Amino acid sequence: MNNKLLEINDLHTFFFTEAGVVKAVNGVSVEAERGRTIGLVGESGSGKTITALSALRVIPRPGRIVSGTIRFDGEDILAKREEEMRKLRGPKMAMVFQDPTTSLNPVYTVGKQLTDIITLHKNLAKSEAKEKASRLLEVVGIPEPKKRLNAYPHELSGGMKQRVAIARALSCEPELLFADEPTTNLDVTIQAQVLDLLRQLQKEFKMTLVMITHDMGIIAYMTERVSVLYAGKVVEVADTATIFNKPRHPYTEALLKAVPSVAQTRKLEVIPGNIPNLIEPPSGCVFHPRCKYMKDICSKEVPPLETVEEGHWVACLRWRELSLESRTG
Amino acid sequence: MIVAFFVIVGVFGPYLAPYPARGYQPLYEGEAGTPPSWKHPFGVEESGIDVFSEVIHGTKNDLYVGLAASFLATLLGIIVGAVAGYFRGVASHVLLGITQVFFVIPTLLLILLFARVFQVLVFKGLGLTLIVLILAFFGWSSIGFVVRGETLRVREMEFVQAARSLGASNLRLLFRHIVPNILSPVIVYTTLNIAGFILTEVVVSFLGFGDANTSTWGLILNEGFTYVRAEWWVSLFAGLAVVICVLGFNLVGDGLSDALNPRLRE
Repeated sequence: MNNKLLEINDLHTFFFTEAGVVKAVNGVSVEAERGRTIGLVGESGSGKTITALSALRVIPRPGRIVSGTIRFDGEDILAKREEEMRKLRGPKMAMVFQDPTTSLNPVYTVGKQLTDIITLHKNLAKSEAKEKASRLLEVVGIPEPKKRLNAYPHELSGGMKQRVAIARALSCEPELLFADEPTTNLDVTIQAQVLDLLRQLQKEFKMTLVMITHDMGIIAYMTERVSVLYAGKVVEVADTATIFNKPRHPYTEALLKAVPSVAQTRKLEVIPGNIPNLIEPPSGCVFHPRCKYMKDICSKEVPPLETVEEGHWVACLRWRELSLESRTG
Repeated sequence: MIVAFFVIVGVFGPYLAPYPARGYQPLYEGEAGTPPSWKHPFGVEESGIDVFSEVIHGTKNDLYVGLAASFLATLLGIIVGAVAGYFRGVASHVLLGITQVFFVIPTLLLILLFARVFQVLVFKGLGLTLIVLILAFFGWSSIGFVVRGETLRVREMEFVQAARSLGASNLRLLFRHIVPNILSPVIVYTTLNIAGFILTEVVVSFLGFGDANTSTWGLILNEGFTYVRAEWWVSLFAGLAVVICVLGFNLVGDGLSDALNPRLRE
């Protein structure tokens, strides 16, 4: 057994559009150990979702994995044929999408959508698949699961729909689950429920969970390790506690300052500007146009990912000289 | 919805009701060419055929032509349109091109040509089924376009991506996840097509290119046409049947399009 379930190394996934090549993922490396929860954090467009879709090899066109390696349980994902990939999707790795109103097929009942996936991967009779579907709904905390099997997605509330989507992703007990902003479209109270559910299920199914989010609060609550992504690049990787206590990258610091806090009544700091154009990313460090510690050198040299200490890497040219504010400080 | 329901009842009811009156024989009893009477409500035709039963049989045959041809055309249109819309690359462009060719060619002329050529040379005795095949072969392109456009739209929706990420294959995605989501416009077009196909069949058999051994409205119109001044009843009732039937299907199509249009459902 390989302890590193997912190893993504120097992944480049580009979208070949008419306007130019969009470098959505431009050299991302991520590792996830078996049974742990890791986080991918960054603004919209930082390449989090595309990284996950690349691992599943379901990148929408005109996107394509250009270079890099992806290993799942030691096996080279990119060398597999499409038929082999189809057998992995579902029983080995699965994904929960951001918006349950659009990620469930509106014309089929909840039961049909679950049994469909179950019978696709497992040789089960219809009644057994239905039985399993109803157990799954129970597992994700849906009351009266037998009755709900016959409900259509539009008959359920947002939170319930996301539970169904989670049940569907879990229907073949995947070893690796990507959760792509699973709570972004839910009410705050429901968000906590769904996060708790994911946490509990991760332990119960002994899954590896990859939380994709822009919310540092979710990162703190859910994950053990974090990769901070910006403009298709990893800018910092560390244990979650380290990220919050000793951030080394100015972008991480800025993300932390943008989190509202109940205890502190300080003003929220906005990161100025927007995520850069990914067709022609900025020269040097991709973050330099928005960085408040920017020096001339930042626009000229590409910062390598350097080791701060064991298990903590940062890609910033000035990390040694900067002393950044932590969450608590 | 209510309108659609009334339209359905109003259109199908009258046609279903007279069906038990199946007694069809030519009446060579000196009644040839008599006007409508209690015995022969629509009158009798020149060669002694009861127009009332002829119209009823024509109804059956014309509905068969309309429904079967429309069904086949829809099937063909869904397959071609869905494949053209879902996949990218050369095959998709070729299919789109074929659809466009079928859309612009003068269908009626070709239908007449094909009907005559096949009727005489190849499939003797296939009768109406031949007409059905020809109509479907030349009439699927509008559905093909609709399906292609809708497939392009639905293809990008998240549940397709979700199903793919859980191991669904391309064909499964296309026919189990995408096609069921685009059926509402297809149903509307299918219904409108029925009316169109019936009308085309009437034209074909009125012009004498149909099967001369099967009663259809067009054939009755054709036979009545010669004596239309003296024996107006022959053409009149067959013509009325055509008008009402086609109008009916168009109204149903309209009703369905209103009922299935999410923007009007509020």
